[in-house]
Amino acid sequence: MAKRCSTYAVLAGFLLVGTAGVSQAAASMDELEKSTADKAFAAAPKGKPNPAWKGQTFTIATLAAGPRGAISGPLYFWKPYFEKLTGATYRVVEIAFGDMQAKIETDFASGASQYDAVVGGQFMMGDYVANDWIIPVDKYLNDPSYPKTDLDSIAPAYKALDRWGDHWYAFNNDHDGMILYYRRDLFNDKKWQDQFQAKYKYALPNPPKTWQQLLDVASFFNSVEWNGPGKEHQGVSLHLKVGEQGFFDFLSIAAPYVVSAAPGGNPKKVTRYNNVFWFDPTDMKPLVNTAPFVKALETEIALYKAGSSAQLSWALGEAWNAFLGGQAAMCYSFGDVTPLAESAANSVIKAKVAASPTPGSTEVWDFQGKKWVKASGVNLVGNVDGASWSGVISRKAKNPDLVAYFLAWQGTPEINHWNTTWGFTGINPGTKYDFFAPFGTAKVEDYVNAGYDRQDAIDYVNAYQKQDFEYPLQLPYLRIPGTPAYLESLDVHLSEALSGHVSAQEALNRIASDWDEITDRLGRDKQVKFYREAIGYTGG
Amino acid sequence: MTDRDGIRRLGGVPARSDRLKDVVASAILVLAAIWVLFPFYWAAITSLKQPVDVFRLSFVPWVQFTPTLSNWRSELFYRGSAIFGGLGNSFLIGLGACLVAMALGTLAGYGLARFRYRGWRNRDISLYFLSQRFLPPAATILPFFYFAQRLDLLDTRIILIAANATFTMPFAVLLMRDAFHGIPIEMEEAARVDGASSLQILLRISLPLTAPTLVAAGIISFAFTWNEFLFGFVLSYSRAVPMSVLIAGTQDVMGVQFWYVSTRLLLAILPPAIVVLIVQRYIVTGLTLGAVKG
Amino acid sequence: MSTTLAARGPEGDGAGGTSWRRSYHLRAWSFTAPGVVWVFAFTIFPLAHTLYLSLQSTGLGGNRFVGLRNFVRLWSDYRFWSALRLTLTFVAVSVVVTLVVGTVLALAVNRGVRGTRVFRTLSILPMFAAPIALGYLGLTIFYQQGGPINNVLAAVGLRPVPWLSDGRWALVSILAVDVWQWTPFVFLVVLAALQNVPAELLEAARIETSSSWPVLTRITFPLIRGPLGTVIILRIVEAFKVFDIPFTLTNGGPGVATRSLTYDVYTTGLRNQNFGYAASIAVVMLVLVMVVAIVFYRSYGSTYE
Repeated sequence: MAKRCSTYAVLAGFLLVGTAGVSQAAASMDELEKSTADKAFAAAPKGKPNPAWKGQTFTIATLAAGPRGAISGPLYFWKPYFEKLTGATYRVVEIAFGDMQAKIETDFASGASQYDAVVGGQFMMGDYVANDWIIPVDKYLNDPSYPKTDLDSIAPAYKALDRWGDHWYAFNNDHDGMILYYRRDLFNDKKWQDQFQAKYKYALPNPPKTWQQLLDVASFFNSVEWNGPGKEHQGVSLHLKVGEQGFFDFLSIAAPYVVSAAPGGNPKKVTRYNNVFWFDPTDMKPLVNTAPFVKALETEIALYKAGSSAQLSWALGEAWNAFLGGQAAMCYSFGDVTPLAESAANSVIKAKVAASPTPGSTEVWDFQGKKWVKASGVNLVGNVDGASWSGVISRKAKNPDLVAYFLAWQGTPEINHWNTTWGFTGINPGTKYDFFAPFGTAKVEDYVNAGYDRQDAIDYVNAYQKQDFEYPLQLPYLRIPGTPAYLESLDVHLSEALSGHVSAQEALNRIASDWDEITDRLGRDKQVKFYREAIGYTGG
Repeated sequence: MTDRDGIRRLGGVPARSDRLKDVVASAILVLAAIWVLFPFYWAAITSLKQPVDVFRLSFVPWVQFTPTLSNWRSELFYRGSAIFGGLGNSFLIGLGACLVAMALGTLAGYGLARFRYRGWRNRDISLYFLSQRFLPPAATILPFFYFAQRLDLLDTRIILIAANATFTMPFAVLLMRDAFHGIPIEMEEAARVDGASSLQILLRISLPLTAPTLVAAGIISFAFTWNEFLFGFVLSYSRAVPMSVLIAGTQDVMGVQFWYVSTRLLLAILPPAIVVLIVQRYIVTGLTLGAVKG
Repeated sequence: MSTTLAARGPEGDGAGGTSWRRSYHLRAWSFTAPGVVWVFAFTIFPLAHTLYLSLQSTGLGGNRFVGLRNFVRLWSDYRFWSALRLTLTFVAVSVVVTLVVGTVLALAVNRGVRGTRVFRTLSILPMFAAPIALGYLGLTIFYQQGGPINNVLAAVGLRPVPWLSDGRWALVSILAVDVWQWTPFVFLVVLAALQNVPAELLEAARIETSSSWPVLTRITFPLIRGPLGTVIILRIVEAFKVFDIPFTLTNGGPGVATRSLTYDVYTTGLRNQNFGYAASIAVVMLVLVMVVAIVFYRSYGSTYE
């Protein structure tokens, strides 16, 4: 009893004394945040809100991250503005990430329909459309009384995610993808350049252009003490914990080995052998245990060994921390890293973070001939790894027009770009408005004013711009019904291979067998049809 | 003989080997105390750490890291309503489950203690209740979910009260049965002769005599409900979310935010801890009455 | 004393015949019926539904009857066997460790040295900490690079342990959390049982022999056999259901190294929406538990008369 009382007394002491948690600098950032938001609000298109909406309310389900966290943050932030604009308001319901499938699908499937809108991950789109749970939103996009989104400015890969077949279903919001982050200071250091050249017989690639190069660089930095004597010096930091989206790394590594340009005039055309990734579109046979995937997994295992063995237990936070805390030379991850590097309390690498788009490969697998062929140059394949959180409207929403108005408004260039520049929102760049001239309309000052180091911001934004708009090919995203089940199998078996429990080929075989079972359970014919619609395969 | 601590000591002058054993025993106790308290201590200091310090080694505040109240501030002010909502839900669900379990459990316990059943023997009925405890929640979670959906009871406190009352009823039945066994039947005989009904006897005479066990069983029921996770997680999403699920909500797309986990863990453990400290004597008596008498 | 006698039976006090007997049974059942009905509604009925679900396959259009196909698939599903193996290992180790540590603690405390009362109070706290939160807390405690445990290890010159990134150590980690939480339960029950051992008996034995081991094994342990049995069985069934800790600490990983049966049911049923298959796993769990229950009833059932 005494021990407990004294613990309470100490805690109470803390409360009384208090400590300076929030610094003075933060106060002026708040002002800047507000003034730029006001400007964005004033400039954004507003369409014509219906006066009958005054006093009405609707419910949005989204990721649980709080009022200053990713994805849910902007919803809280913009609420007062929305209320001023329309007189209506909304309730934000937060759902923990790991449970989004379960909760959202439950809500739609039951009569409950508590959610009028869902700002969720795009991998559920297949389930939504197959079950007719959401409404198409084409009519809102062309209606002048709704805030106008500049559809042409959105990168094609993200536009595809917001559509299904011939219709639009989601509004522009987040644009997820993974890129490579690395320590500019290390790569520019002549000492390491010389040592690398001596060991690997070619110049230190700055940045690495292929996964093979990346592996060499990671192995190199993992073996030299670039961080000072006795300190951690990891080559790369990856979030490989099972159940924590580690499988996206694998997808990005495999993409340049698997996705090949179609012959003829349109390299992006989806044929049986080109621009496919997950299944053979003629019969839904999984491709995941074929040679290029095995090579990708073996590369990933080698990459894992070029960093801390703890990576297998790292979710995003821990993996980012290793890089932000200066312990790893590189990090391959989502668009949160540079924003965190600039402003997070645990970052020691501000002004040292370079970024480049995803590496490619010098050889690609020919599915038809079943052999490796040399790519002309480097086969670069972009990705939209992640969830790309965008808003969809439930078929049971009581006031879909109001909901559509809100989502369209959030997708307008001014608001969306503001969200992109302020890191807490978790919204990543993906439209011309986010990228720099001559390609886009954004200015470096937008980012510098939000606290970014100038060169870091330039590298970061340009990396995404190249990957989204200049990469000739894209990794198709899986959006068919049952996607959560397919991805779960992928995730678990990958983890088995990484932990050395089974060989790469065996793990991939297990995935293929699971996938066949899922496909059969859901109905193979239906799945074939959905898959073709999802990737845009029309035969050939 | 019994000393101040209520612990019995063997009589006589302690021999030298006894004293050695006492030293060893004390050492074991100290180690065990550290072991028991360490996670709470760790949660307390983690809740006071800046995110950057969470991943760096730091045991002692001020010496190795600068403590900050910003996590607490953020949780209590920004998320205060959600957190207090969670605490409120947990409290109401716990109370509801406790009342239902205790009501039905006490009745059943009394019946099992005082009557001899025909057809279905006392032992079978007792085991019927006990087997509820054996049942893996996994075996009933899917139908519960399905029926809650059908009856429009998803995300309500009612369904969680019902589920938790079911899980904790075995404790109530068995503990109360043993408690009633401990009351000499002669005390009830007198009232029976006066013409009182069984129910009246139960309420006026037997129940007051079993107060310690009643409290212990109630506390156990409340505490198990407080910490229940699986059903709370699956059956609620915004209005009826209990505290245990809110703690799980600190994991988001960026990974677990440990500083918030710690604040929520401490907030979640505070109510049971306070209650436990107040009634700890009854808990020990009640727990042991149930187990030992058997 | 008639305290342990169950009841006066219907023949009881000899007054009046069948009508009294009928009212006796009516009264008897009026006490237990509410509880019995409740348990039926909330347990037996859902169980029946789970059984029904296990014979279905969940596809795009809903459920389809497939008989025993799910169970056939389970038989050849290495993930199921892995989860089963893991759960049984977890149960065995957890029960043994909590039993040993709890008993040792109880013996130590039973000596009555100073501070036992405080310790007894403190030891109740772990049981009331939410396992969910403990799992998350464990992420910082078991943190490989710089967590407190690895730092202490480094300080004494040992290599850091891959608590969460190696399959076997991950199992140790979840066991550690479970043992921490449930040892107090064993401790409290065994301590109470020890205190019920009549002092005279121990003193008499002390006169016969001065060493304590035989006293312990020949007298003390046999006398506390009853509560010990109860504790063992309660620990077994609780450990069998483990979910919260792997859910938060390891996500069932790395790979499937810490995926318990309940975790499998949750993922398969509620995340992947594959209800039929999940139900079949649940049915297998049920059968296993019933086997344990039957063994228990045979050995200890009489104590519940």
